Amino acid sequence: MNNQLKESVLQVEGLNIYYGSFQAVRNVSLEVKAGEIFGLLGPNGAGKTSTLSAIEGLLKPQSGNISIAGYNIKEKPLYARANIGVQLQSTSFQPELTVSEIIRLYGGIYGVEMTIEKLEKMLTNIKLEDAASKRFGQLSGGQQQRVSLVIAMIHEPRLVLLDEPTTGLDPQSRRQLWERMEALRENNHGILLTTHSMEEAEAVCDRIAIIDHGQVITIDTPQALIESNRNKPEVISASRKGKITLEDVFIGLTGRAIRS
Amino acid sequence: MQTNIPSTSAALTSLLGADFTTQWRNRRAVIMVILVPTIILISWKGLIDKFGGAFALSNCITIGLISIGLMGYSNAIARDRDKGVFQRLRVAPVSSWSIMASRLAVQLAMILVMTTVVFIAGSYYDKIVLSPSAYALSYVSAIVGGAVYLGLGQAIVGLIKNPETVNSTTRLVYFVFFMIGMFGELGVLGKEIGDAVKWSPYGTVKHILSSSMQPANWDMKATVALLVTIGYTIVFSIMGIKWFKWSTR
Repeated sequence: MNNQLKESVLQVEGLNIYYGSFQAVRNVSLEVKAGEIFGLLGPNGAGKTSTLSAIEGLLKPQSGNISIAGYNIKEKPLYARANIGVQLQSTSFQPELTVSEIIRLYGGIYGVEMTIEKLEKMLTNIKLEDAASKRFGQLSGGQQQRVSLVIAMIHEPRLVLLDEPTTGLDPQSRRQLWERMEALRENNHGILLTTHSMEEAEAVCDRIAIIDHGQVITIDTPQALIESNRNKPEVISASRKGKITLEDVFIGLTGRAIRS
Repeated sequence: MQTNIPSTSAALTSLLGADFTTQWRNRRAVIMVILVPTIILISWKGLIDKFGGAFALSNCITIGLISIGLMGYSNAIARDRDKGVFQRLRVAPVSSWSIMASRLAVQLAMILVMTTVVFIAGSYYDKIVLSPSAYALSYVSAIVGGAVYLGLGQAIVGLIKNPETVNSTTRLVYFVFFMIGMFGELGVLGKEIGDAVKWSPYGTVKHILSSSMQPANWDMKATVALLVTIGYTIVFSIMGIKWFKWSTR
């Protein structure tokens, strides 16, 4: 199905976020459609986390509109949040609770009926069937990420937000996560992904927005971004092996300076 | 596609289940909270004839309430905030007050358990037996008094973000309340300190507990102590709610 015809699961329009007098996000607008993996890339401090926090409802923007699955986050916050699944960067469950207790907790919060069979199926899907009674604090980083992803998907949300989900994962776990993301796309979920890995963005994203100094500087498909920027001198000078990659485009557009 | 919003009671039930389980898994800390006032009560057997059963029980319950509010509640909140547990819950369709109400319900249960254990220990070791109405009133006073320290704990986690600093600060405040409160009440620290302690959160909570254990002796001073206790709770809670941030980042 043509992506143009697909419904929008996230619409951000004219988002502005200030911390005191510092403007972290400047007039950001973007759209994620059902069945699309949308990458939000930017150097440290570019405004990615602030944008994501506003979408999650954790931060109130000074101006702008955010709609999730058609629900305005200001007018219908609970409905908007019920349509998002979130995987946060840091571990975010009580370490004393077991994997099955965490799944039951969030099943209850999202109003999902949790039978033993359903729970077992979920654990089998993330290859944690033997870890059901293990406490979250005893799991490895990769296992914790898998639990976090299953919680993000527990209520079959229209939009899934993944905040640097592969940070710290080994190549096998990373590939497995990519496959899960692609399976979500197949099932018509929209995904908003933030990552510092250009390889990841190139491998899985349908479209990418590059954000810097709080502003979206470009939005396009990875291939189109490479094609449209390959002849820019700053992109050519960023290239290391002659072949222009997404990382070269990213560095060419955002600069070489290291951000705090 | 229809959006499913769970009822508040269903979400609260799930939160309570998880919070009580977490508390149970941290039962060593729970035992410590109960053990300290119980040991003090048992060791004060000799003082009961001099000061009375209500004096001993009310002091011990006050110490237990300080531990629950300062050591238990504030440290658990500081740790979970630092780990992002609250942020993860807040992105779900659950109201912020439900998250906090569930946490407070666990502490409320802790207050009731600690008070019960102190009463049982008082009855078993020191032969202090109260009337049924005195027991009932004392439970109510324990909850009212516990609210002061939960409010103070909330103010501390509102003011301080780092969980280690919260931990050391609450220990220090606990120590100050414990030592000055207890010894001030006994009159060991002089008249001025003794008078100051009487109107401190320690003194007023201890006073309403003590008066609840002898309902016939409830007087104007006890009523004023109750009002001051409620005042402390309101002030600490307002500070705690105003300063509190759900995230340390």
